[in-house]
Amino acid sequence: MASRAAPANSLTNSLSATLSRNNRSALGRWFWTIDRPLLVMVLMLIGCGALAVAAASPAAAHRYSGGTVVVGDLYYLKRQILWIIAGVPLMLAVSMLPIVWAKRLAIGGTAFCIVALMLVPILGHEANGATRWLQLPGFGFQPSEFLKPLFIVTTAWLLSARIEDPTMPTMQLSFLLLLVVAGLLVKQPDFGQTALFSAVWLAQAVLAGMGLSVIGILIVVAAGGIGVAYLFVPHVTSRIDRFITGGGDTYQIDRALDCFRAGGLFGTGPGEGRMKFKLPEPHTDYIFSVIGEEFGAIACMLLAILYLAIVIRVLLQLLDEEDPFIFLAAAGLVTQFGLQAAINMAVNLKLLPSKGMTLPFISHGGSSYLALAIGMGLLLALTRRNPFLKASPYARRWQAA
Amino acid sequence: MTALPLRSEILSGAVGRPRSAASSPIQLAGQRQQTLALGRQRLMTGLLLFCIAIGVLVLRLADLSLLQGRPTVGANRSTGAIPVRGDIYDRNNVELARTFEAYGIAVAPRKLVGNPRVLAEQIAAILPDKTVDGIYKELTARNSFRYISRRVLPEQAKRINDLGEPAITLEREPERLYPNLNLAAHVIGYAVDGVGKVGVEKAFDHRLSDPSTRGTPMHLSIDARVQQALESEMGAVLADQRAQGAAGIVLDVQTGEVLALASLPDFNPNAPGKSDPATRYNKVSYGVYELGSTFKTLTIAMALDTGVVTSMNQKYDATNPIRIAGFTIHDDHALRRPETIPEIFIHSSNIGTAKMAAELGRDRQRAYLDKLGFLKQAEIELPERASPHFPPLSNWGELATMTIGFGHGLSVSLVHLASAYAAVVNGGVLRPATLLKVEPGHAPAGTRVFSPGTSDTMRALLRLVVTDGTGRKADAPGYRVGGKTGTAEKLSGGRYSKHANVSTFAAAFPMDHPRYVVVTMIDDPQGSKATYGFRTAGMVIAPAVSRIVQRIGPILGVTPDVNKDVDVAALLSEIHDKAAE
Repeated sequence: MASRAAPANSLTNSLSATLSRNNRSALGRWFWTIDRPLLVMVLMLIGCGALAVAAASPAAAHRYSGGTVVVGDLYYLKRQILWIIAGVPLMLAVSMLPIVWAKRLAIGGTAFCIVALMLVPILGHEANGATRWLQLPGFGFQPSEFLKPLFIVTTAWLLSARIEDPTMPTMQLSFLLLLVVAGLLVKQPDFGQTALFSAVWLAQAVLAGMGLSVIGILIVVAAGGIGVAYLFVPHVTSRIDRFITGGGDTYQIDRALDCFRAGGLFGTGPGEGRMKFKLPEPHTDYIFSVIGEEFGAIACMLLAILYLAIVIRVLLQLLDEEDPFIFLAAAGLVTQFGLQAAINMAVNLKLLPSKGMTLPFISHGGSSYLALAIGMGLLLALTRRNPFLKASPYARRWQAA
Repeated sequence: MTALPLRSEILSGAVGRPRSAASSPIQLAGQRQQTLALGRQRLMTGLLLFCIAIGVLVLRLADLSLLQGRPTVGANRSTGAIPVRGDIYDRNNVELARTFEAYGIAVAPRKLVGNPRVLAEQIAAILPDKTVDGIYKELTARNSFRYISRRVLPEQAKRINDLGEPAITLEREPERLYPNLNLAAHVIGYAVDGVGKVGVEKAFDHRLSDPSTRGTPMHLSIDARVQQALESEMGAVLADQRAQGAAGIVLDVQTGEVLALASLPDFNPNAPGKSDPATRYNKVSYGVYELGSTFKTLTIAMALDTGVVTSMNQKYDATNPIRIAGFTIHDDHALRRPETIPEIFIHSSNIGTAKMAAELGRDRQRAYLDKLGFLKQAEIELPERASPHFPPLSNWGELATMTIGFGHGLSVSLVHLASAYAAVVNGGVLRPATLLKVEPGHAPAGTRVFSPGTSDTMRALLRLVVTDGTGRKADAPGYRVGGKTGTAEKLSGGRYSKHANVSTFAAAFPMDHPRYVVVTMIDDPQGSKATYGFRTAGMVIAPAVSRIVQRIGPILGVTPDVNKDVDVAALLSEIHDKAAE
């Protein structure tokens, strides 16, 4: 009975079932178990990112040049290529980790990043009124960015323990952890990240079977939190007021809308954009507008659909996932990815008030690019599976045959 | 062998970790399956929501790209219509904003006729800040449109035009120029592509752009010299205190004209996109703050005006803190004895003021606050006007009446406070603050809030705070400054912070015949050597007020006179010891 010898949840031991593939090397195993359609879509996204940064680079360079400082037109494109060269191998390396090592990486990394986050107010580097970075030689390290994927996997680990054994108080524990992280982020202050962490945690808790009444209460509390921020944090008040009334200072977002209007359906063509020169952060927060101007609304729609396709691909794969940890971790990671993309695009289209959030794999890198690569690497590692050994009816048929 | 799980269990994923399998595996496995099934259901719901979100984005993209008009930058080629915009001057004809005829020099490289190398050299000779190689690169780019230079002067543009190259186009870029850079940036605001976005530029956008009115320049009530003095003094405090922000406003008490309005840190309206958005926030009209003790002036004025207080030697017992509805109201400089009205005022007694407010009662307090304009948006022409925060009527009980009496539980803008102070000292008439110059004799009639008698008494009390109270450092020799300090703990995250405060000083001068109100605010001062580490208004801003008055007094024609002063002798006789500070 070959199937008896193969524990269902272990991917590493699934080699016995893949003997027919005749390739026992680590790389071969990785190749046959990775979710190839997902990998292809992510690489497409990274490619689009290079194109988009190429379009946005001159505008950003114009913006940051002045006086004696001259930033070359393609400076940001060159940097982006470096980030891709660093990020893609990192992503692939993480995707090769066995599940148990991915889990260890996440838990250890979470502890490390929380400590780093605590150090930020003491040693941090201030920019634009917020202290978010630790300045390391060569680049700024933003612990909250790296914490995001690692925290999600840790949360999944805690919540899945509760599914295995409902007497475990791990949901409360992970909520406590969320409160610690949220407290540290609000202190920076970084309300956008706080909201993202909380939203992803809530999604994971809901998937882990949190009661509907608790969900209701948490949503009310969150709405209350936003209300309090609106009433007592002038910066938040002005952003939301500006968004609702259209009054006050709407300079940045109006420039973004002009880009889409100028681009039309097919865009002005690469390098032909003009409105992009007036954008505040053309290479990061507002890169979607640059795409809108130069490549047109159809390209933007395709990009939005590409994000949707990635999310759908992962979620559909999860439908027959039996391991609660993998289920929660992958769902959490893809929620973060999709939510961040959707929020960024919605801000660019003036459907949401402005939030400092980048478009995953499209916006010009920085340390957040490496964090994204780790997150996607973890997702790829978690969704690796033996195509012939899964609990779907098709797999059963194959084994029966 | 029996310990091995059955095949059916393997396939359904029912094999859990040893931990869960240890107790009652069958029951737990069922529950686990149920939870996972529920999770899958919810996952599908989430997926559906995400699909809808992306659907909305796609619809919005279609809306923007198909249904809305193309923006018109670059449409005004050299022959096109010129969207001019009216100039803005201060009250003394100092230019604050004007439209400067600039040109954008662009090239359509594919249509180039001449020799690019020669052309590049010719253009470089005209535009000294560009290099031949840089221009050559633009001329030979593989695009249909490249900028060679932006914001080029008309004469340079003409010389480039005279080169006769058809591929080079001159785009008229009517640039709005703010020659004084950051000066009064929050008042003037800025315009982008001929449309006012912020400040006066937005408020009077129609007046500035309509062909029938744009020919005559607008005169603001601002006096650039006063504005400069206010900005420089507040900027010095901001730097010395390493504070988060500073703000100030100077108001003519007889006309409501705003002579200066400063919000720091500020920005350069010539390049608004390059500034930190936080600097564009107008702390004077758009920010609301709990202004603390500066409110006590108003409570005492109300009490005097309604006859709640009939004599300066009327006493309120400040021996013990007030305990009400689970809160305790206590004094910072507790004397622990009954206090007369001048004592309550110069010692800034919360207990005394709270009792006075309670006697006044909620309805009369609300009626006065309403008359003073504290329950609606500040009256000023700026589009960036905050609405005050105050409790709803149902929540405005005795506790709220008391705390509002000493400036807590009600947040208003500095414009609100300055207008109210003007009414307190000018004989009792409230006039809306205005940014437009008021010709002599054309001041609005205003609405009476306090009687002239109340106003007289309040002048003396305010002067007393500066001669003998917490505001002594605000005195400016001969200028008869009067005012009230206020140091409120800053609200952060809905709670009062012990570590951050907002210090305010509301002053007027000369107190024997008040002409100007000066209200200043420092957000989160850190204390410095100059203030011996203190962060209270009396130490932090009062000295700046003194310097501001000494700088703007001569400009505004207020003559210093050490022989003139308000008679505070009668009030002094009601003070039974010297002020605590």
